[in-house]
Amino acid sequence: MQQMNTVIGAIENCRFCLMCRHVAPVGHITHNESVTPHGIALVAAMQRRGQLTWDTSTLSVLYAEPDGGNCRAHCVTDQPLPAAIAAIRAEVADKGLAPPEVVRAHDRIVENHSVFGSYEPANEQGEWGLFVGDAGFNLSRETMHAALQLLEACGLDVVPVGCGLDSGFIPCSLGYPKTARAQASLCIEEVQRTSIKKLLVLSPQDLFAFRQMYRERLDITWPEEIVIIDLVDFLAGQVPNFKMIPLAGTADNATAYVDPTHAVRLPGRFDAARTLCEVALGYTPLELFWRQDRAHPVGSTAIQFTRPDIGVRLTEARLEDAVNRGAQSIVCDDPATLHELRLRNKSNLRVQGLYETLLARLARHS
Amino acid sequence: MEWTGLQPEMVRSELSEIVGDAHVSTDDADRLVYATDWFWLPQMWLDRGETPRKPDYIVRPKNAEEISAILQVANAYRIPVIPWGGGSGSQGGALPVFGGIILDTKRMNRIIEIDEKSLTVTAEAGINGKQLEWAVNEKGLMLPHYPASANCATLGGYLAPRGTGTISTKYGKAEDLVLRMQVVLPDGHILRTPIVPQHAAGPDFYRLFLGSEGTFGVITEATMQLDYLPDCRLLRAVLFDDLTNAIEAGRQIMTRRLDPFVIRLYDPRSTASRVKKILGYELEGAYMVLGFDGDKEIAALQEEKAMDIINGFGARDLGREPGEAWWNHRYDFYYPPQSLKLPWMYGTTETVTTYDKIEKLYFAEKKAVEEGFKEWDIDFIGHFSHWFHWGVMVYTRFIIRNPPDDAKEAVRLHNRVWNTAMTAVLENGGMVNEHHGVGLKLSRFMRRQYGDAWPLLERIKKTLDPNGIMNPGKVGFGH
Ligand SMILES: Cc1cc2nc3c(=O)[nH]c(=O)nc-3n(C[C@H](O)[C@H](O)[C@H](O)COP(=O)(O)OP(=O)(O)OC[C@H]3O[C@@H](n4cnc5c(N)ncnc54)[C@H](O)[C@@H]3O)c2cc1C
Repeated sequence: MQQMNTVIGAIENCRFCLMCRHVAPVGHITHNESVTPHGIALVAAMQRRGQLTWDTSTLSVLYAEPDGGNCRAHCVTDQPLPAAIAAIRAEVADKGLAPPEVVRAHDRIVENHSVFGSYEPANEQGEWGLFVGDAGFNLSRETMHAALQLLEACGLDVVPVGCGLDSGFIPCSLGYPKTARAQASLCIEEVQRTSIKKLLVLSPQDLFAFRQMYRERLDITWPEEIVIIDLVDFLAGQVPNFKMIPLAGTADNATAYVDPTHAVRLPGRFDAARTLCEVALGYTPLELFWRQDRAHPVGSTAIQFTRPDIGVRLTEARLEDAVNRGAQSIVCDDPATLHELRLRNKSNLRVQGLYETLLARLARHS
Repeated sequence: MEWTGLQPEMVRSELSEIVGDAHVSTDDADRLVYATDWFWLPQMWLDRGETPRKPDYIVRPKNAEEISAILQVANAYRIPVIPWGGGSGSQGGALPVFGGIILDTKRMNRIIEIDEKSLTVTAEAGINGKQLEWAVNEKGLMLPHYPASANCATLGGYLAPRGTGTISTKYGKAEDLVLRMQVVLPDGHILRTPIVPQHAAGPDFYRLFLGSEGTFGVITEATMQLDYLPDCRLLRAVLFDDLTNAIEAGRQIMTRRLDPFVIRLYDPRSTASRVKKILGYELEGAYMVLGFDGDKEIAALQEEKAMDIINGFGARDLGREPGEAWWNHRYDFYYPPQSLKLPWMYGTTETVTTYDKIEKLYFAEKKAVEEGFKEWDIDFIGHFSHWFHWGVMVYTRFIIRNPPDDAKEAVRLHNRVWNTAMTAVLENGGMVNEHHGVGLKLSRFMRRQYGDAWPLLERIKKTLDPNGIMNPGKVGFGH
């Protein structure tokens, strides 16, 4: 777990710093200082000084942080505030003070290794694997299928792994590092058991977990011999080889790309995702206001369990952003983000999977 | 003194009727977070485990009409109302010193219109500065008020304390960029000033709200002048052996109207400490960053002429890279842990005066502070950053790295340093402030600052706000 002094360092540094306010998603939808990074850090700092105790009011602040990485992505001194908040939630959970929804979500993970449904361990062997994850398997299976078919079209024989398996991100963010570590071990074990050497990852959340979170928050080293590859990056590299079916009729030019939750933690993928969009749509997608390095998460992180009210508003805000930009449809690659967007969409916006759209237009791979 | 009993509940229910229950909070965590803005004193107070005065309510209205209704409730119950934008003010302007209602304006964050012909933007006052900038950037435009706090401050918070941004030397202060405002007066009356700011149709009354820091009413909307994003920004750095020459070079550049968008001149102590810490340059002397922007050819010519002046003072041209590095990292100074931070004691005693007085003022303040607080090993640093045709602002700062642990003692020491610094400023023809505003921090100096003119301001305050509900204890009213 994140060393306590690093945690305290971040809380102390952030408690009076307002420099990431412009990209603080929860602050934007609530207009409330208390649930900005500064507010949450201040409440945590004051609790440590005995000025506040953990009660309904203060816990509602502590659990309002979405762990989407926006604050840190814009922090010149790289303060690991989300990790610090996860560590404080762990203290709170240890004391038995975690809210019931949080406890329930954690219990589901302990029982099923999945918060959304079930986990199916992989049995095949292969050099290439696709880490499907919990949301990809249990919430948006069509995205998983499309991804696998695209990879097949690229001539790859890919073993789906981690089907329905939480990578450890959700329990870590909820404040259960022990469970997160167990999940992480299970992920690594499965990838090693299937002899995979090149692991494509479907979800940015899992990618963040493997590349950064394991090391920083769980003290787990990802096995060196297994290369992690963002699926978006890989497919973007294949674009010159794609032959696409010509578009029937004229394009409406009204589809916007939604940078998924956690995209700000993986800045390398902004261009790759847009390259794929252009190929899939036949034109450059519209840009949302909250895009690329300022992309806001939808309610697909642990926030859906810690503060479901905020989770819903975060997703609605992304949908509103698209409508305000004149989009008629939105496209995204991440299963968890897609699921949330579909669930909360009350407008006429069409929500499309990027891989599904790409597959529908793919004639062949040269 | 906490406010308890039936009345607070009456007020809460009336406020909820106006803005909806979800937008009124009396929650403990919220009340603590809104108990401090960016003023060192309340931050230190909290940090040392002391209990600050908290607001009784935090209310988030969505428009001027709701604010009007809130002010009527506040008048009925005689409770203070404190406008709150981003809470980034360093003067305690948004502190609820007598409790009451914090009126957080951030729900009013719409852009109403971008006029690409007149180059103006009309937006609600609670909009975040950086988000507003991003929105106009998409049209190839900029709002040329670039404070270091754009990430956290609001449009209303730019105007209420008369803020100044990094590129003010060419484009003006926030107040110079405002064409029109909508304001809710303390009695709830809503008014809009005319769209044309420069005219001869009577007195410039709208300027009353600029610098009133919420004591004369609440700014709810503003139309601001925009500019095209410049084709180029030419930056370079030069090093002067001494500050006197550097100030004189800056004066000549300004009075010859060479139109730099920035002249940032660090005094030798800042050059040795801040410039070294953030940019990594180890230099002795006075470091100056100079910038020209706009049309490439014109900017290049302006820079050439400015360099002729600078060369005349024997300054060393450090080239573009250190100027550009400064521009790219100019706000890094504000991120902890590299910013000034608790438990240190610090304060920005920035001031402005005319060229004939500025150097004397700077050295007088420096001497008074350094000699007055020698036993505290006080550090006094400064830079000259907002230049006018007639004078310049100096951003002086004091730092005490080992202040008293006891919060009450720390308050007394802090205020003694400020008294010393402000006395030197006032005795040498300076203003108690150039851009951070007055707030609570400088309230006690306002009578001295204005002398004979002060009673007029007091009369205006009484007329506009007979019950004294608007941001009491600030801007000198009540002192
Ligand atoms: C890191 C950092 C850097 C800074 N750099 C600069 C700088 O470069 N230039 C500069 O000028 N300042 C700077 N400041 C100071 C401060 O950010 C500015 O004064 C800012 O404009 C305040 O805006 P705010 O929205 O945070 O206002 P707040 O702090 O919320 O309020 C400031 C005052 O204005 C009043 N007020 C706020 N909104 C309204 C409204 N709508 N109507 C009426 N009154 C209102 C409040 O009651 C209070 O008195 C800096 C502060 C920080 C933290």
